[in-house]
Amino acid sequence: MLMANVRGLLDARHPLWMCGLRPFFLLAALAALLLMLMWLAFLGHGLPLPSTVGGPFVWHAHELLFGFAFAAMAGFLLTVVPEFTGGGDFEAKPVRWLTLFWLVGRVAFWSSGWLGAPALAVSGLAHLALLGSLAWLTAPRLWRDPERKHLAFLWAVAGLALCVAGFYVDALRGEFPARWLHATLGLFMILIIVALSRISMRIVNHALEEAGIEGVEYRARPPRRNLAIFCIGLYTVAEFALPASRLSGWLALSAAAAVFNLMNDWHIGRVLLRQRPLMFYGVYVAMAAGYATMGIALVFETSAISAGRHLLTVGALGLAIYAVMGIAGRAHCGQLFETRLWFPLGACLLALAALVRAFAAWPGIDPLRPLLTAALLWCVAYGLFAWHMAPLFIAPRADGLGGCKGAAIP
Amino acid sequence: MSLLQRWFAGIPAYLWSGWGALASLLLLIAVWEAISLAYGPLVLPEPVAAFRKLFVLIDSGAAWPELALTARRAMTGLMLAITAGSLLGLLAGLSLTASMMSRPIVTVLLGTPPIAWLVLAMLWFGASDGTPVFTVFIACTPVVFVGALQGTRTLDQHLKDMAAAFRLPWHMRLFDLYLPHVVSYLFPAWINALGNSWRVVVMAELLASADGVGAALAVARSQLDMDAALAWIAAVVLALLAVEYLLLEPIKREVERWREMDREHA
Repeated sequence: MLMANVRGLLDARHPLWMCGLRPFFLLAALAALLLMLMWLAFLGHGLPLPSTVGGPFVWHAHELLFGFAFAAMAGFLLTVVPEFTGGGDFEAKPVRWLTLFWLVGRVAFWSSGWLGAPALAVSGLAHLALLGSLAWLTAPRLWRDPERKHLAFLWAVAGLALCVAGFYVDALRGEFPARWLHATLGLFMILIIVALSRISMRIVNHALEEAGIEGVEYRARPPRRNLAIFCIGLYTVAEFALPASRLSGWLALSAAAAVFNLMNDWHIGRVLLRQRPLMFYGVYVAMAAGYATMGIALVFETSAISAGRHLLTVGALGLAIYAVMGIAGRAHCGQLFETRLWFPLGACLLALAALVRAFAAWPGIDPLRPLLTAALLWCVAYGLFAWHMAPLFIAPRADGLGGCKGAAIP
Repeated sequence: MSLLQRWFAGIPAYLWSGWGALASLLLLIAVWEAISLAYGPLVLPEPVAAFRKLFVLIDSGAAWPELALTARRAMTGLMLAITAGSLLGLLAGLSLTASMMSRPIVTVLLGTPPIAWLVLAMLWFGASDGTPVFTVFIACTPVVFVGALQGTRTLDQHLKDMAAAFRLPWHMRLFDLYLPHVVSYLFPAWINALGNSWRVVVMAELLASADGVGAALAVARSQLDMDAALAWIAAVVLALLAVEYLLLEPIKREVERWREMDREHA
């Protein structure tokens, strides 16, 4: 029965391959759950993780960034690039190749402890193949767009490819590769700002319409966004070149201020308190708080940098992916907005997880319990997500159509 | 009342918009840090060292008296300059002949470096308060004068004619027609003058006084105490930023809104 189901999923005509986000959002949700469960078991019971280069912490960061976040990003780009630039959806065949690259990347990296450098090299190549094919698929459309206003996505993919290459070169040379993961996180923060500026215009204005508020319009203004991207970019470069320096600390503080400044766009009244706008606003709150914490930690030489970093990973990245996958995932599977309680509940749990994880770095407390609590909260949030969303990704569209065409927002 | 209400309701948004300015200032501090990193603390101490020193100065109570003294001198000079400059400028603006006549003189006054006035002031007033106050006054007056002059000269002749045709009472002419227009020119000039006064007073004190921030800077220089020097500079700049962004900028926006409304109605 199970085998038959799996075999059915592999069939190219299966609804799973109807739209680029389906396989990747499914994999991202499952990865979020599984990776954190393994981390929980490792922290709580000492269960071994796959032995990989750099030890468990590098495994944890590598998998959540290059595994979970890459899958979410691939699903997102495969769906929105055709939508933003016009033209048809991507075919199932390249999407299946991309999925294969992603899976090879997981298997090869996890087994690199036993199989050594060759597996590590294969893993690196698989990750580069994933990003390369993503760029190859999306670049012509992004470039052909008359105003070329979505090229930022392409630069982000190129930057991520650089980070992947750097990580694997360092790993193969036997150096500690964590700096490339930090740079990847910085790029993801930029990618979030770029992506949310597109998404939020629709979400917030739709919420305004829904609430019957007239005379107010939400606009994501480029100057503020560009300042935030510039500051985060500077910090990312400084952190890479001069880690643990006061210089990077000041830049982190400026990034925090620039993200707080970005929130000016959002202060347009009560609509902010509605569910979906509030989720995206929460992403910015976490991002600003994360950079502020990191900046203070670096300038005043405290140990809270990991707290700040996890406000970025759990609070900003985790929540952004959750919200985007939840909203876009449903819309592009032909469903209306989620109205059940689990969706906002999961978002609250993720926000709480970020706070608890940051609290673990508070001086003088035993970090283990908050670490476990945060991981558990993450697991519940993404468990709820997988439970409710996975069936959508493998089922035909409710409206009987094919492809990625969005519902919910006209 | 509604004006006040709207003004108060706008405070949070205004304060929040300060994050953008803060981001730029933090970038500047990062540049400072980078220079200090490249050339060492002997050339430029780290920002943190300067801020720490500033904190010590404030905490020990050494900073406030000096800052208050400097502020008093700057404000005295500035008030004199604003009063004299505005009045003279308005009067000169009323007559074409007077404004024509005053222009070259203002150019000369603007072109004379404050340091030259300082030398004269030191000869006239010695080490008393008079030296910094006079220097501030003479450095700021032309700036205000030009603002007032322009404000009066650019009054719309048609509006004046219309006011005359409708026989507008003098107080309506003054408060609804002349003042809003003139103030929208005067106010930026006052803010310029404020920045000038703050800079000039520190310079005057550095060279001519035994107390005040400028004198403290001179002491720090003679002791080669870079941390203290930067701490005092930071104090001066922070005070100026606070006055500018917390006091003057909101008022300026209110004034400019007035002008924009004028434009919309026109």
